[in-house]
Amino acid sequence: MKVIRTPRSVDLAITSRCNLRCAYCSHFGSAGDVDQDLATEEWLRFFEELSDCAVMQVILEGGEPICRQDLRQLIHGIVRNRMRFTILSNGTLITDEMAAFVAETGRCDGVQVSIDGSMPATHDACRGNGNFERTMDGIMSLSKHGVSVSVRVTIHRRNVKDLEGVARLLLEEVGLHSFSTNAASFMGLCRQHSEQVQLTMEERALAMKTLLRLRKKYNGRISATAGPLAEGKIWMEMEEARREGRPNIPGRGYLTGCGGPLNTLAVRADGVMVPCQQMSHIELGRINRDDLREVWQNHAELRRIRERRDIALSDFEFCQGCDYIPYCTGNCPALAYTLLGEENHPSPDACLRRFLEEGGRLPEEELLAC
Amino acid sequence: MPENDMPIANPLVVLREEFDDWAVLFDPDTGNAFGLNPTGVFVWKCLDGNRTVEDILNTLQANCEDVPKEAEQHLNDFILNLSEQGLVGYEIRKD
Ligand SMILES: C[S@@+](CC[C@H](N)C(=O)[O-])C[C@H]1O[C@@H](n2cnc3c(N)ncnc32)[C@H](O)[C@@H]1O
Ligand code: SF4
Ligand code: SF4
Repeated sequence: MKVIRTPRSVDLAITSRCNLRCAYCSHFGSAGDVDQDLATEEWLRFFEELSDCAVMQVILEGGEPICRQDLRQLIHGIVRNRMRFTILSNGTLITDEMAAFVAETGRCDGVQVSIDGSMPATHDACRGNGNFERTMDGIMSLSKHGVSVSVRVTIHRRNVKDLEGVARLLLEEVGLHSFSTNAASFMGLCRQHSEQVQLTMEERALAMKTLLRLRKKYNGRISATAGPLAEGKIWMEMEEARREGRPNIPGRGYLTGCGGPLNTLAVRADGVMVPCQQMSHIELGRINRDDLREVWQNHAELRRIRERRDIALSDFEFCQGCDYIPYCTGNCPALAYTLLGEENHPSPDACLRRFLEEGGRLPEEELLAC
Repeated sequence: MPENDMPIANPLVVLREEFDDWAVLFDPDTGNAFGLNPTGVFVWKCLDGNRTVEDILNTLQANCEDVPKEAEQHLNDFILNLSEQGLVGYEIRKD
């Protein structure tokens, strides 16, 4: 398999700490939840290697990246090393000064802030009291300084009926260009609180239908790469292909659900390189000790994850007899791991056959066009 | 363009060699990225501020087979395009 010489971007958990404890957090309780954060100098040294490897973009996340006292120093390091950056944040610690600083660098592609509801009751349900207001203040500070803000909405049992309100708040009142959605999935703390936070099959179908309708109403300004909206689109496409008896959908029929490890590498807060923050149990080496190029090009575990693209769905007992095989991607490897202990397997979480067998219904087709 | 202009690559711009000698030029200040074919990569590496366009053409002819006769025009257009994008500047030879 052909692989580019070095990753285009890297996803860095610059801290394992966070000022919140969201009930569904994928970080806490995962292999990425480490005791010790790396020292400033270690990250700065690594940025030089990234520059040498011509990496273009750094994603700063965690935990909560704004918890790092030396964040400005780290960002200066990124800028000095000819890269751009994005921050994933809960927004509660973003002050006016921090927003002004980020804007002045001229290198920020955007800050992704998590908003889960249109009001404190729904946002704070999983994120903790007082955080809706704090996060909205953070968004306002970023917007005031002209920093591009993108919002991620994580859907769970307590906000699934507030999606209309969320769309109105973000797209009409705040005036964002768009926002993205996902659903709380079976990782980290979410595994312990699954009953309380994860959508039931009925709620999932409701979220799918509501989001497709809102996406149409707002001319495509709601997006998703996972969760109910993404599933709604891909499942309806699969169903249409099956009904029309199409031989296949190009690129499907194999475990092609994730292209991340072909472009990006991740690093945990303790400096251990991993294929993705959601697969932080697969340790590939340590920064500033192991050569990034060597790990990227030759690590056997990374190759194993990339080569899942060559594994046919028809090889799995799990998929035997399924009419959707030529149209399916087998979904997210990280969820296949948390659910079954094996990355190179279809994930049962986003399995259309299972959804239908459990009584799930797909939305009407008109909702797909927008 | 004066004859003694010597194009020099903007040191802030990143050359990302990807596969099969193809590459991307990345300008971190704008976030813009431009694809380069293998000849473009060769030329980019010659933009060191010590060679005129004519020198670069000669280097290209010496190192590559089948350089077409329109190469000079292509080279001029290519460098002009890079300079319009802020990826290349000029140093005037002092002697
Ligand atoms: C892990 S957080 C890190 C950045 C920051 N602390 C935040 O909350 O935005 C990144 C995104 O993942 C989402 N997230 C956390 N746990 C999740 C889970 N179990 N399933 C799906 N998304 C999750 C969060 O809501 C957030 O939008
Ligand atoms: S989701 Fe983000 S804000 Fe919430 S606990 Fe996890 S890292 Fe912190
Ligand atoms: S069983 Fe599920 S995962 Fe397998 S091909 Fe069918 S829909 Fe896809």
